[in-house]
Amino acid sequence: MSAARPGLLCAALLLSACSGEQSVLAPAGRDAEVLATLFWWMLGGAVVLWLLMNGLFFYVTRIRPQALSPRAAEALIIGGGIVFPTVVLAALLSFALSEMPKQREPGENLTVRITGESWWWRVDYLPEGSDTPIASANELRLPTGQRSELKLNASEVIHSFWIPALGGKTDMIPGRETRMSLEPTVPGDYRGQCAEFCGESHALMALAGVVMTPGDFAAWLEKEAAPAAIPTSAEALRGLAVFNAEGCGGCHAVRGTEAAGTVGPDLTHLGGRVTLAAGILPMERDALIRWIRDPEALKPGARMPGYDHLSDAELSALATYLEGLE
Amino acid sequence: MSLKDLIRKLRPDEIHWPTVGRTLGVLALLGGLGGGAVVAFGLFNVSARAGHLPGVSWVLHTTFRNSVAFRAHAEPPETLDDAGMVALGARHYDSACRHCHAAPGAERSATVRSMNPEPPHITEAVQHWEPDEFHWIVKEGVKMSGMPHWPATRDDDVWPVVAFLTRVGEMSGDDYARLTEKPDGRYCAMCHGAEGVSGNPNIPRLDILSETYIRDTLHAYREGRRDSGIMAEAMSQVPAEAIDRLAAGLAESAPSGEQAPSDDLAQRGRALAAAGGDTEVPACRACHGPWSEPLNPAFPSLSGQYAPYLEQQLRLWRDGNRGGTEVSELMHHAARALDDDEIAALASYYAGLAPAELDDTSD
Repeated sequence: MSAARPGLLCAALLLSACSGEQSVLAPAGRDAEVLATLFWWMLGGAVVLWLLMNGLFFYVTRIRPQALSPRAAEALIIGGGIVFPTVVLAALLSFALSEMPKQREPGENLTVRITGESWWWRVDYLPEGSDTPIASANELRLPTGQRSELKLNASEVIHSFWIPALGGKTDMIPGRETRMSLEPTVPGDYRGQCAEFCGESHALMALAGVVMTPGDFAAWLEKEAAPAAIPTSAEALRGLAVFNAEGCGGCHAVRGTEAAGTVGPDLTHLGGRVTLAAGILPMERDALIRWIRDPEALKPGARMPGYDHLSDAELSALATYLEGLE
Repeated sequence: MSLKDLIRKLRPDEIHWPTVGRTLGVLALLGGLGGGAVVAFGLFNVSARAGHLPGVSWVLHTTFRNSVAFRAHAEPPETLDDAGMVALGARHYDSACRHCHAAPGAERSATVRSMNPEPPHITEAVQHWEPDEFHWIVKEGVKMSGMPHWPATRDDDVWPVVAFLTRVGEMSGDDYARLTEKPDGRYCAMCHGAEGVSGNPNIPRLDILSETYIRDTLHAYREGRRDSGIMAEAMSQVPAEAIDRLAAGLAESAPSGEQAPSDDLAQRGRALAAAGGDTEVPACRACHGPWSEPLNPAFPSLSGQYAPYLEQQLRLWRDGNRGGTEVSELMHHAARALDDDEIAALASYYAGLAPAELDDTSD
């Protein structure tokens, strides 16, 4: 009993990593379900085989250590060594192969173009029948009940797109479009992570995955397509003046204003996102101020320069303006 | 005698090594004591009047010439013969070098001629050197001769001085006086013009710049945060407490002028400045105008600035050799992906705009 306790503790710790927002074993989409099912079948099979093999060892060493008859030995070798693995592996392969086309199915209604940048995600929504992409960043929102198409690309180096709770991973390669599709089933907030080493801040390149009901998603997309909110409070207007004076629009776009930069993430609805700086900070004003003052300290090698020459009052006003861009 | 015979004759088996060691030790001790005495008791005569022993000057000078020839291999820019380069070089020379090397039509002072080695008169000094050798000497200086090195790490701004040195041999005193004239006796105006407009594509016009930008920049030059041998020399002539007054005065002049007709190059620059979907280069106009809202006065106006100067500065930014004020980090990020063609296009665009202050910039 006392020997089993640490073992149980370890198992509990390991299992605690299997639930939550970024887990293959807590699927929230058809594709992740398939992968999870495959995993459990594989695990179950492996456990059965392990027990079988060990049982056999036990049998031939302890229960019946004497030689088998040639007939029994031949049956065991042919049956257990050739027929059984062939049948099991063929069954598993057929099952896995039969699941693959589903993973490669084309999406319908909605296409999302995701580009891996250093170290953030450019996300453009292309609803069916629309030519102008709705620009967003660092967050992928998808509706339940439909299979959405993802077109993946990268700007400088290879990245890999992966939201474990929703599906498998696909590499993003500069100059070559790769694709996948996802069919989420459970509304909620999930977390993705770049799954291919892409430079010094690879570990800090996360992605929020938000699954919504079709109704919520349609309402959100309509709002996302609209121009930015016009600030009304005096503090937010001061923040807008700082945004203009500091040249933020050189890199960032805020649709509906003169700011139309495409070097960094589109900020039109920044305040409406769940995370900041590609999943590494919560969308809060303190985090906004910390990020704007010194991005290098939070994400080494980030392309965004630091604005530590701004006063606390200017940074605070700027954060108020950006928070208001919902 | 063969080598074998020689070794046999030396009879190494008969050498008494402890004696050899002691002899060498005593000699080393005596040498050390002698050398120490020269340093400690001032036995060496450092008199410039007494000069060197016969032959030593020749050895030193020949070493100097050969050292320069061996090390000089910088490639001169195509603009080396431009009048603007010669003029800028002449003005820096007038401030930094004339004291020792005099000028066309002028003599070195009696004091300078009493230096050892004696700094040659400039018309004599420039003989027998090639542009790359001028560049090396001005940039590196010559130790133990009184010739200083360039007061900056960047070396592209040495070339105007080289341009002047290649021409000074044929200049009259009047030519030199015309080049180095100070309008109303004002030092800054010698290069930057009476109204802050140099008329020289290698010297930036200041009439378009804000007081904030000029003040921050002058401090940066004076404190060595912005690297320029020419402006380091100029700002060492200006006391720190005079900078505010100077910046206010320089910012007073109001720019005027027309927009130049736009060509293909300028059009490309315009598109780039507006960042039409470029994911590498930020929109220049967000900081440098034209922009509909007021911009940070710490950003320089580029409207109507000279193209060669803009190109040179953009290259410095891209290569990480330009700094100075607290906002320079922004520009390092902005310029890192520019190539030479884009730099030429951007310089052409902004140079073609009507000279204007930052918030008045328009195209």
